[in-house]
Amino acid sequence: MPNRSTQSTTEQNTIGNLFEFDHDGLPLFRRRRHLIDTQDLLKEEVDCLMEVAALCKKNHQSEVEPLAVLSGKTIANIFYENSTRTRSSFEMAARRLGASVLNLDTKVSSVAKGETITDTARQLVSMRVDAIVQRHSASGAAAHVATELGDKVQIINAGDGWHAHPTQALLDFFTMTEIRGSLSGARVAIVGDILHSRVARSNMWLLTKYGVDLNVAGPPTLVPAGLESFGVTVHNRLEPAIEGCDFIMVLRLQMERQKQGLIPSVGEYKKLFRLDHARLQLAAPGVRILHPGPVNRGIEITDALVDDESKSLIDAQVANGVAVRMAVLYLLLTGKESVQ
Amino acid sequence: MTTPYVLQGGLVLDPASKQESVMDLRLDGDRIVALGGNLEVKPGDTAIDARGLWICPGFIDLHCHLRDLGQKDKEDIETGTRAAAAGGYTTVVAMANTEPPVDNAATLSVLLNRIADRAHIEVLPVACVTKGMEGAELTNMVELAEMGAVAFSDDGLPISNMAVLRRALEYARLSERVIISHAEDRDLCQGGIIHEGARATAMGLSGIPIAGETVAIAREIEIVRSTNSPYHFTHLSCAQSVELVRRAKADGLPVTADATPHHLTLTVDQIQGWDANYKMKPPLRTQIDQEALIAGLKDGTLDAIATDHAPHTRQDKCRPLEEASVGVIGLETALALTLERLVGAGHLRPLEFIALFTSKAAPVLDLPQPSLQIDSTANIAIVDPALRWTYSTSTGQSRSHNSPFHGRLLTGKNILTFYQGRPVFTDKQALQNRLKEPV
Repeated sequence: MPNRSTQSTTEQNTIGNLFEFDHDGLPLFRRRRHLIDTQDLLKEEVDCLMEVAALCKKNHQSEVEPLAVLSGKTIANIFYENSTRTRSSFEMAARRLGASVLNLDTKVSSVAKGETITDTARQLVSMRVDAIVQRHSASGAAAHVATELGDKVQIINAGDGWHAHPTQALLDFFTMTEIRGSLSGARVAIVGDILHSRVARSNMWLLTKYGVDLNVAGPPTLVPAGLESFGVTVHNRLEPAIEGCDFIMVLRLQMERQKQGLIPSVGEYKKLFRLDHARLQLAAPGVRILHPGPVNRGIEITDALVDDESKSLIDAQVANGVAVRMAVLYLLLTGKESVQ
Repeated sequence: MTTPYVLQGGLVLDPASKQESVMDLRLDGDRIVALGGNLEVKPGDTAIDARGLWICPGFIDLHCHLRDLGQKDKEDIETGTRAAAAGGYTTVVAMANTEPPVDNAATLSVLLNRIADRAHIEVLPVACVTKGMEGAELTNMVELAEMGAVAFSDDGLPISNMAVLRRALEYARLSERVIISHAEDRDLCQGGIIHEGARATAMGLSGIPIAGETVAIAREIEIVRSTNSPYHFTHLSCAQSVELVRRAKADGLPVTADATPHHLTLTVDQIQGWDANYKMKPPLRTQIDQEALIAGLKDGTLDAIATDHAPHTRQDKCRPLEEASVGVIGLETALALTLERLVGAGHLRPLEFIALFTSKAAPVLDLPQPSLQIDSTANIAIVDPALRWTYSTSTGQSRSHNSPFHGRLLTGKNILTFYQGRPVFTDKQALQNRLKEPV
């Protein structure tokens, strides 16, 4: 058990704001155990999360000691797919809140010997881990573990196949609202490989809740069937999608898509879909660019645009990622006992 | 020896003779020995009050997977035929994609011995078209047919090479057996998990396009046109597939087709969350496709309802959807699901409906016509069309539990099955006030 008296002193010194914080979304989070996708998040929850993320960002930027709100909690990172930024972002977020972090190396653990993801998670449950942050290549992997073990451990989806990457969408949302305030009526484009993108899907679910004019563009072979059902406008060319846009999200092009025959060549892709300063003239004057990373400089976006601080929000996204993930962990992992 | 049975006052539905009347039946030994009004109940007879019940010929399932050999943790001959008997079946056609597959005489011989020892009803084994189901070299089709293979199929996998299919159809004439098609274009279906469309896109799953089925059917029909050998399309799932078979039949080609209960009752929009019990091949399609399947059953384009009973262990199914095994069990729910969908909704009359399990299914594989006449083999399914019951995989007979219909309230149930005059399934609860044991 953590030492409560020491902890409360620390808390009072550093996060008074968080304790006085109140919001309509808080009771909703008290009932929520997992974060699997943005699809089932209510607006009240998102709004609440954004406000907490803003507080977390202030804390993170001021060089005070970590908060202790999650002290005594253990959060396990299981990344079955390689990731540097999301994993380190979650790890930093957890540590900033005083939680212990367990990083499971899936290459040397029993996972490599064919153990199922549920059995791996079950081992962590036996070790009394409070939450599992999981990334896996199969769509539905997070929902699967939540269905199997959800009463024993909280699941946070750090990306499952092509399905969802909710914290990325939330940090994108946070980054855009920092610039523009409300996104209602904003025109946003998501461009590139939509088919394989969990980031695109989670952003579509989230942004369409807020009345965003959402446009999607990619080569027809990389745009999945029935995409209109998300409430987005689908374009085959980049230009009509980005016209008048306030924000453009550029997706990473996986180089193996050419080998799979989904695009004829990277050269042709660049010609048709690479975002550069010239094409940006079509967008709204104050347009800003987002990219979930890692960037293929010169492929889906020009070098110059990545480095153009007046346009690119890529560094802000990374910085905001820690704050948003702190908010996610804080809201999901606290306040449970007091209610039940 | 069992006692003689007298089935009293049931509605006898015999599609082969188009007979549909309230009558008594007397079973003695393995035969139906008398038919008529008010048959005498003699001492030593067992009488069954069948008023309100349907007396049907035992059902035929043209497509099931009994998993014996090699996959007994999923199902075996004993449990599979017990499940079939519970569903009213007295004949099932068992697919060959076991471990090892039934592609040679030695394996078929082992399987035939198991069937002889353990089956509760008639099991007709299918043998592979190609060795190892690799779609390349033909099996010894004549030898296998002479041993007892009822048909040939690589079901589970398509035969992708049309030259191989053409040779198989030509050669199958020597064996006098039908080839059963699992029509799937593997390139178009590559990686697909559910029907291509908004649902697959929302779930981040690779879709299985309509063309993945129709392209295969269209080119296979052209091979049939050039060989004129009988060919059966199983588990049709798309509207356009029905239309292709309809045209082929109109052209006089020797093709037949079936659809499964799950494609007739579920659509892609009804998939519950990430539940792998909704994962099957072909996948659940749309309402339009389902309506076309029903239209095909009504106008005779489709000859039969076949279960594609595909048992899997909990371990095989309890995985992320992309990794879970493909298929659902169906022997125990087929009748009730399709009865509601086809008769309950007014698409078919009871006699037309029962024909899809009996008189219309048998000719597909040139099986003896099931009938309820004097001296017919006493293979009988007795159905209570009004019985309301809740299906539970835990009280079901199959070894496996992979059904999307678990917990579903159903109307209509097979309550008693006779195979060669012996009861092989008895729903004791449903029969408790109907059974008069001999004194």
